[in-house]
Amino acid sequence: MSFRRTPRVHGLMTRSYADDLRLFGSGKAKLGLLALVLAYLGLPFFLTSDFWLSVLDYAGIAAIGALGLNLLTGYTGQVSLGHAFFIGLGAYAAAQLGGPDALNLPLPLWLLGAAVFGVLVGALIGPFALRLRGNYLAIVTLGLIFLGEHLFRNLKEVTGGNSGTNVDTTATLGGLDFKDLALLGENFSFNQGYFWLIWGLVGLVALLVKNLVRTRPGRALQAVRDRDVAAEVVGVQLGRYKVGAFAVSSGLAALAGALLGSYQQFVSPDEFSLFLSIQYIAIIIVGGVGTVFGSIVGALVLGGLPGLIDKYSASIPGVSTGSGDSGFISVFSLNQAIFGLLIVLFLVFEPRGLAAVWLRVKAYFKAWPFSY
Amino acid sequence: MSEFLQLCFNGTALGARYALVALGFVIIYRATGVINFAQGGLLALGAYLAYALNDTAALPFALAVIGAVIASGLIGAATERVVLRKMVGQPVFAVVMVTIGMLFILEQTITSIWGFEALNLGDPWGVQIVRAGDVVLAQRDLWTIGIAGAVLAAFFAFFRFSKLGVAMRATAFDQEAALAQGISARRVFAVSWGISGALACLAGVTLAAGPAALSPGIGAVALIAFPAMIVGGLDSPVGAVLGGLIIGITQALTTGYQEDLFGWAGANFAAVMPYVVMVLILLVRPYGLFGTREVRRI
Amino acid sequence: MRSSRMWAAAAAAAMLGVAGCGGADSEEGGSGGSAAKKGEAPKTVPGFDGNKIRVGALSPLSGPVAVIGKPLTNGNQIFFDALNKRGGIAGKYKVKLVQEDTQYKPDVAVQRYNRLKNDVVAFTQILGTPSVLAVLPQLKRDKIIGAPASLDAFWVREPNLLPVGGPYQGQAINGLDYYVKNGGEGKRICSLSQDDAYGEAGKEGVDFAAEKLAFKLASAQKFKQADKDVTGQIQALAKAKCDAVFLTSLPSDSGTIWGTAAKLGFAPRWIGQSPSWIDELGASPLKEYLAKTVWIVAEGTEWGDDSVAGMKQMVADVERFDPKQDPDYYFSFGYVQGKAMAAVLEKAVELGDLSHEGVLKASEELGEVAFDGLFGDYTYGAPEERKPPTQSTIFKVDAAKPYALGTLEKDYESDAVKDFEYKAR
Repeated sequence: MSFRRTPRVHGLMTRSYADDLRLFGSGKAKLGLLALVLAYLGLPFFLTSDFWLSVLDYAGIAAIGALGLNLLTGYTGQVSLGHAFFIGLGAYAAAQLGGPDALNLPLPLWLLGAAVFGVLVGALIGPFALRLRGNYLAIVTLGLIFLGEHLFRNLKEVTGGNSGTNVDTTATLGGLDFKDLALLGENFSFNQGYFWLIWGLVGLVALLVKNLVRTRPGRALQAVRDRDVAAEVVGVQLGRYKVGAFAVSSGLAALAGALLGSYQQFVSPDEFSLFLSIQYIAIIIVGGVGTVFGSIVGALVLGGLPGLIDKYSASIPGVSTGSGDSGFISVFSLNQAIFGLLIVLFLVFEPRGLAAVWLRVKAYFKAWPFSY
Repeated sequence: MSEFLQLCFNGTALGARYALVALGFVIIYRATGVINFAQGGLLALGAYLAYALNDTAALPFALAVIGAVIASGLIGAATERVVLRKMVGQPVFAVVMVTIGMLFILEQTITSIWGFEALNLGDPWGVQIVRAGDVVLAQRDLWTIGIAGAVLAAFFAFFRFSKLGVAMRATAFDQEAALAQGISARRVFAVSWGISGALACLAGVTLAAGPAALSPGIGAVALIAFPAMIVGGLDSPVGAVLGGLIIGITQALTTGYQEDLFGWAGANFAAVMPYVVMVLILLVRPYGLFGTREVRRI
Repeated sequence: MRSSRMWAAAAAAAMLGVAGCGGADSEEGGSGGSAAKKGEAPKTVPGFDGNKIRVGALSPLSGPVAVIGKPLTNGNQIFFDALNKRGGIAGKYKVKLVQEDTQYKPDVAVQRYNRLKNDVVAFTQILGTPSVLAVLPQLKRDKIIGAPASLDAFWVREPNLLPVGGPYQGQAINGLDYYVKNGGEGKRICSLSQDDAYGEAGKEGVDFAAEKLAFKLASAQKFKQADKDVTGQIQALAKAKCDAVFLTSLPSDSGTIWGTAAKLGFAPRWIGQSPSWIDELGASPLKEYLAKTVWIVAEGTEWGDDSVAGMKQMVADVERFDPKQDPDYYFSFGYVQGKAMAAVLEKAVELGDLSHEGVLKASEELGEVAFDGLFGDYTYGAPEERKPPTQSTIFKVDAAKPYALGTLEKDYESDAVKDFEYKAR
């Protein structure tokens, strides 16, 4: 308890570095956070469309993986095309740890176990991969995808080989079974239950990553990204931090993979392709490289977009929708092309992603009606 | 013995294709420091252009290929002019991702125009073969090796004897010094992309020749040309050619002998072999066989 | 205390909500468990409004696999168009096909499944082994029946799946048996299969045939789908001096494989799985090579064979409802799927219950369904009692025929195939 009275200041004003670094900014930010928490708790009561719930569930899983990738690529500046490999690793680990025929561990343990497995494999591969920089690193991590796919296809005892494996994990936490949730006298569907599970974890992981990047290790990572030589000179142990970031990022990817497996209840090697890695990179580009908020927004936008395009494709001219329909471009092609276009346009015109757009909008309204 | 020779011949034909793609990578990398992930898309586009000129515009095959090569070169240069020039000075990651984004757009353009069905390119080589003892030489493979050889010779002559070629080497060596000598870096960039596009088209044509072999998937070969380029060293044209041949021959030998020698590695190991070779070589030589060691300045 | 109350609530909920997923959005309306009376008009349920029955199709309608998904879905559609013209299910209920594009991606398939599930009584088509496997756990939870559009053997024993046709394994066994019994005795037999679940199904059949017919595989090669270079594999087969090669591939790769073999001067007897053929190959520069070397093992008869009732009906329906449809194996497959689903729906109407669970139950009481020679007849019923058709038709390449395939031996049934056991996954 200090005797000095903390004077009330305007929400926009920061008076010390501590103010800049604090987790939940000003009063307004706290309000916003409260609104998010309420939305998280309340949404399944209002949103009953299984389609949109499953879109949100997939987006939440992607958000967790994207937070991991953003830590590595956005904050530490290391390009990895191998993220899909670690997602796959987590999914198969979940099948082994949480399945009734395997270890049959409870929810927290198989989730944590899959993440730890990802961290360990990441820490093992990291030192070799991270000797290389920039372009070389990108291509070597690309190799990881191909080697991983080969392993997933051939280690039949563990992965089920080409026909994939069931991921029949339990999802019970303290009496709450997320697969078949009964709360306050009401029954909730599988998709509603998993919404709470997945997005609860998104919040947890976001908090973890935010805390990591605003403290000492986070600053070290950003120093490595901005000028690795300078970082080394001021005493950042390059190798240790790079490998550390790689390991944590792999762990989060594995966590996302474990959730993916558990939600889908089935995974096969076809899913963990280069395309998945590129999808994750696109998420952080569109959302905002080097921001926690951006990883989540990016996942929501890229996860929801195909659904929206599909919904309105009938009213877009030249798009073919059904089996007998002819048009210039199919919905699939349109989706893929928009995906590519988003990457290019964001990098060329707004390299800092939607997060920066949001900041700009916010700044505009802060100073409103003075637009300078 | 004849089996070994046969495998080596097939590997060389395959390697020649990889070399053409890898060379395209290296040219762009030397000039601009960018790995062009869209090369696979340009390759497929080039092959489809040749198909369109031959089939739809009814040009003779040779003319169609020449036309497609020129068009692909122009498309390559235009891509640099319209998109990549805006990315000068951006981090490596961003530029790589822009080329990946372009790959998606190219692929969808191709499938929207020509569909997904496998097509016949209309090459005159078909399935004709030449026998040399026990070894069967497919005409298409002989032509591929011939085209690759001729292109490589022309390429090295261009860099040694032509003014533009020397300018490009100078720019690759030291951009600022080259600028000071009055060399236009813009022109060098555009020409590099142009040459690279033309090479991609040739690689595409040699890949798509044969019965019902032209499909949007042929761009995937670029993913195997990556290891070829890395094995040789990112910035070495000689390395790209050697890397392509090394990867091609290793892959052919792996498929041929896998069952007898290392069946334990899992079926179809040849598909990942290029990456295994790449990792092994990088462990010994982090900058590839002929790559320039990167100097870190403080 | 709290947690025990929660448990009680959960238990009560479990007892009440037998209809499946429960949840705030459940529209099951208690029809699930309640005993419906035979002969009575079925109650309105999700997917059935009293007049129209809606069934779903989850198919890749765009993207590379659309080459398969589009004709297959069109087969579903035209079957139901013709059925509706005749009056519909039980002569009065029209069937509406609702299509969703899965793009051949399991995650998209799961999302689209969720979009449709409360809007249809069943799924008449789910295309792609990975997509079926990803949707299957949800089908089980929601007690819905779906028809997989592939010939994998493990579908046979899944209560929530309604397969048609004899599995790939059976095709391989019959094809090789035919070869061995017709001059292939003592010849060197090999296999070439793609490196995925489909390829493994074919390979399993080949291995079973090898055991039953007492031959040793001279070489077994695999290739990666869409790999443009199969020279190594072909050479290994040539080195093993194969007289016959059983091929499990998709048409896009078949072209590459046969092209490579032709250019290496390797011409064994190729015996291909039904999906490895597409009629464009019959018009390619390879056609002479193919006519000499290739057999395809499939089911039923050649396109346009008027002597087979089912084929005659189908060709007439095509001419009436979509004359633009070319002869296509996948189209027939979709048409047959429609027939199977119609049989299930008839049964469900007869039992007076079109709810998800009612349709599922109807499928178990179905018995044998005849496909009038289009495909072999299938005995449905409880999963452990199902009997898929065991006969295959061997075709040879014949450019003059509508699908470039002419019959070599119709409805061939080996002894070996009868011993093959279909296991659950």
